[in-house]
Amino acid sequence: MSAFLAWGLSIGMALSNIAMRWTPLAVLSRLELPETVRRWLGYIPVTVMAAIVTVQILHPDGVFRFDLTNPYLLAALPTAAVYKFTRSFLGATVTGMVAFLAFRYVLA
Amino acid sequence: MPNTRTTPATTPSPAASLARGVKLGLPIFLGYAPVGAAFGLAATSAGFTVVQATACSAMVLAGAGQFIGLAALASGNLVAALVATGIVNLRYVLFSATMAPHVHDVPPWNKALLAFTLTDETFAINIADVREGRADRFSMLGVGFISWVGWTAGTLVGALAGGAIGDPSKWGVEFAMPAMFTALLVGQITGKRELIAAGLAAVLALALSAFLPGQWPVVAAAVTAATVMTVVPR
Repeated sequence: MSAFLAWGLSIGMALSNIAMRWTPLAVLSRLELPETVRRWLGYIPVTVMAAIVTVQILHPDGVFRFDLTNPYLLAALPTAAVYKFTRSFLGATVTGMVAFLAFRYVLA
Repeated sequence: MPNTRTTPATTPSPAASLARGVKLGLPIFLGYAPVGAAFGLAATSAGFTVVQATACSAMVLAGAGQFIGLAALASGNLVAALVATGIVNLRYVLFSATMAPHVHDVPPWNKALLAFTLTDETFAINIADVREGRADRFSMLGVGFISWVGWTAGTLVGALAGGAIGDPSKWGVEFAMPAMFTALLVGQITGKRELIAAGLAAVLALALSAFLPGQWPVVAAAVTAATVMTVVPR
């Protein structure tokens, strides 16, 4: 790997990322967006998270897993319950990791 | 919060907000550090020096995008590698646009830092905090900072240690991100319409996963479900 390629990739990715991350934030935050657009943007977080979770849990590593021996699916249940009752992201995340290890061990 | 609709009754000090943001971002740190280490290992295996690998993570902060860029660079074609990672990271445009109405009064330098640390995970944590009326620009900076530290430090450790670190999957780290997103999803479902939107996005994402590569099922499902929910009257 030449230094040119390594630095070229890093700097190129950095510039491309900051353009995508910064431009809408800088431009749209100065405007008063129409109600319809704001309503649409309001649905983005819940739809993005539902889509990400579903793919991560039911299509882990690029394979569909609809069975009840899927440790990702099983571990998601106590994770959701812990967050629902404690509202702690850290508590839910650690619970999920422990539950995932336990289910993977038991189901192996 | 800069958006007056979400300003808490008593405003915490910048230091307290920053500390709260760092604490909020700890689950991201837990998930990023091992994946960052995996990137460090992959980058040095591909011929990057330790400094180049660590600088790449410090400047870019894009998990999947970096792995894809690295893989595409194996062919020696820098332009193809940059196009590949750019396509994978297009979803940041969507996240950035969603955050925009909530940062009206944030100074430009602060916006730039928030933009720099905008990832799937920081977006999810910050937008949830905005919805609860607790986020301000310092808490969002705290979330971004701890995430950046996890990703960059993880890369440094992975690049330095090489194969000496064992398999991180023995600690269950591959479930850190799904666990965090599961919790965030629960927090986002605040009513019947949000539940329907989530169900629609979930079904679409799963169906599209059979046809579309990478992050496209997530982006297409989220955009379609949000559009349907906006168009269909209450």
